[in-house]
Amino acid sequence: MASLYKKNPVDLLFSSITAIASFSVIVFIVGIFYVLLSESLPAISRFGVLNFITSTDWNPVRESFGAATNIYGTFITTTLSLLIAVPVAVGIAIFVTEIAPNFLKGPIGGAIELLAAIPSIIYGMWGFFTLSPIMSTYIEPALKNSLGKLPVLEILFRGTPMGIDLLTASIILSIMIIPFTASISRDAFNLTPAVVKESAYALGATRWEVVKNIVIPYSKLGVFGGVVLSLGRALGETMAVAFVLGNNHRITTSLLDAAATITVTLANEFTEADTDIYLSSLFYLALVLFVMSFVTLAIAKFFLLRAERKYSR
Amino acid sequence: MIETRTKRKIENIIALILCTLAALIGLFWLVFILADIVVHGIGAFKLSLLLEDPAPPGVEGGGLRNAFVGQLMITACAILIGVPLGVLGGTFLAEYARGRKIARFISILSDIMVSVPSIVIGTFIYAILVRPLGHFSGWAGAVALSIIMIPVVLRTTEDMLTLVPWTLREAAFALGAPYYKVIIQVVYRGAAAGIFTGILLSIARVAGETAPLLFTSFNNSFFSVDMNRPIASLTVSIFQYAMGPYDSWHAQAWAASLVVMIFILFITILGRVILKWRYGKR
Amino acid sequence: MNLPAEIEVKGLNFYYSGGVHALKNVNLPVYKNTVTALIGPSGCGKTTLLRCFNRMHDLYPGNRYEGEILIGGENILSGDTDLIGLRSRTGMVFQKPTPFPMSIFENIAYGLKLKGIKKKAEQSERVERALIHAALWDEVKDKLHASAYALSGGQQQRLVIARALAVEPEVLLFDEPTSALDPISTAKIEDLAVSLKKDVTIIIVTHNMQQAARISDWTGFMMLGDLIEFDRTDKIFTSPSQKLTEDYITGRFG
Repeated sequence: MASLYKKNPVDLLFSSITAIASFSVIVFIVGIFYVLLSESLPAISRFGVLNFITSTDWNPVRESFGAATNIYGTFITTTLSLLIAVPVAVGIAIFVTEIAPNFLKGPIGGAIELLAAIPSIIYGMWGFFTLSPIMSTYIEPALKNSLGKLPVLEILFRGTPMGIDLLTASIILSIMIIPFTASISRDAFNLTPAVVKESAYALGATRWEVVKNIVIPYSKLGVFGGVVLSLGRALGETMAVAFVLGNNHRITTSLLDAAATITVTLANEFTEADTDIYLSSLFYLALVLFVMSFVTLAIAKFFLLRAERKYSR
Repeated sequence: MIETRTKRKIENIIALILCTLAALIGLFWLVFILADIVVHGIGAFKLSLLLEDPAPPGVEGGGLRNAFVGQLMITACAILIGVPLGVLGGTFLAEYARGRKIARFISILSDIMVSVPSIVIGTFIYAILVRPLGHFSGWAGAVALSIIMIPVVLRTTEDMLTLVPWTLREAAFALGAPYYKVIIQVVYRGAAAGIFTGILLSIARVAGETAPLLFTSFNNSFFSVDMNRPIASLTVSIFQYAMGPYDSWHAQAWAASLVVMIFILFITILGRVILKWRYGKR
Repeated sequence: MNLPAEIEVKGLNFYYSGGVHALKNVNLPVYKNTVTALIGPSGCGKTTLLRCFNRMHDLYPGNRYEGEILIGGENILSGDTDLIGLRSRTGMVFQKPTPFPMSIFENIAYGLKLKGIKKKAEQSERVERALIHAALWDEVKDKLHASAYALSGGQQQRLVIARALAVEPEVLLFDEPTSALDPISTAKIEDLAVSLKKDVTIIIVTHNMQQAARISDWTGFMMLGDLIEFDRTDKIFTSPSQKLTEDYITGRFG
């Protein structure tokens, strides 16, 4: 094949142009890393790595910056949103692949995927004006009066329900990642050969037993990859969270407290940074986020590729 | 034995009900969000939203004409940069570098880049295009969006070109055509619908992006078509208006959200319809 | 000829969703502890018929049966048939091996667990018995907890047979069980089928007429959804009474 185009000068030119275009992806990835790193250098040399990640002090006035509160907020919102989203998403995937009658499979699958097309700014608006008041008036007081009365769980529900807090942000985030997890799980489930499922049915297994014992074990790599991919997405989500999380640099045990994620801090403070070290610290935050999400997404991709290879025999 | 069978059947029914419930929860959120935006958006929509520029803060009336125009310009420029790069890059992976390690590597890297936080791309562009020039600009926003578009277009182009049967290329080679002519005249034609869908979906993806515009094109409360200066966009305006103190701002944010949402859902559904029509059920 | 018929198919019609009439008024007996082969050109309905015996067609909506299939005198096509019960009385083996994503042991114990047999000792004993029965024990006894995917194709197919045998079914349904196997593995499966008939009744769909001639006692020849002829295998292959049967058999044998 190579000999086919090397002889023709126009082909050489066209192939070089396409090569340059595709290498732009590498240039961007390396460029982002390099630029963020060099912009962060003043903050890195001043606050170090371990100290920056573990310090909870975020104080522009004293020019002291630590990322722990942001990382904590990112960690709590993504974890909580995954806890809410994954069971629902896997349930949706099971419904679409194994339960729904054929004429419903397409429309329901498509409808769920429309959730993924709604831009995050709209989730944010809706969360801010509609979900947040519902949370503060009905759901959060109810949680406070039930789970909040239990001895250990009580620390999760301290404070006044305002609707602008970790819980609301996590719920919105969970709605946003449901379609990713669901559609990847669905694709993974669909890779289970029909005849393997039939042999389980032929042994007298119920539909649920086939799902639980055959389909899920068969596709667990793909589902896991999908969950990790959703995690990667949730880490970097900005606008939906920016509306309903407040911007509170504090580590709090209560889900009813405002907090800050890396993304929210960037969105709120980047254009306000008035000193070099402040801006450099924000770049440092962006670098931390970039590395975190890149590693997460790479892991997800690794599992998805392995799943693909394993079952494409 | 009969007893375990009954137990199994009950477990089965409960599990199936729970899964059905999960699907209903998903649909519930979709309907809830769409209906909420439609109800608030229609109530707040006035023609002046499209025709007038913003009134001074706190003053009733005005519109977001500047933001509509700005959004169109930023998106159009992003398309002009992102689509050619994406299509050409995808061509390299699927044609000249087909089967080679480098193609696989770039393909995987693009898949990762599709999901890289868009706000990070905003900070990157700020560092290379905003701060060195000393001011926010429409171009910076367009470049940020195009960086988000490229991997999307590149990957769909690669996939769609790969779907074109190899025998079609051989038939064209047999007529004595050089490879670039085979690609441009035969392969592109065979994959046109798929590539077009990829472009549509990438537009849908960036048209709702807010985070990467916050520190690149920034915002501008005045009408401007100068891409060298800060320029308003719908999404940033929605963010600013929704978080602002005035009811009239909130109303305009709802109406603008409705417009953005209709536009994006329309493109997304159009893309899926084309894909289904051209490539059958998938 | 006065053998006890374990299964009686009476006036069976089958329609796929979409209305294709795939089985047309099929009547046939299946005798206890024999091997019955179903042969015919592809699309003749032999697999469709086989999948009626454990009502596999119920997995896909819109399929419809008419008529009766009596197993042990009970009509399994009636509306109140417990499909789980029916399927635990019948075993099925498919064209391609279908090991589950579990260890060898768990694959075989799976049907037992479904039946409510939870005791490890009883499971072990019955897994061993099924593996011996399926002539696989010697090859796998040292790696029972290895993944079933590690076995060769022929071993996987015998594993699947062992899995079906472990629940002690009355009927075993084979759907072209050797079409994906090499000749040596095929011979092993054929020997196995013959030796198993002392315990179970076997119905086998095959496109390989020599195979039908080698292992079956009774043969049904089908075409376009009709059961053309049903008789003792030696009769079908030496002096068929129907012209169509003769054409098919002689045409294939050349």
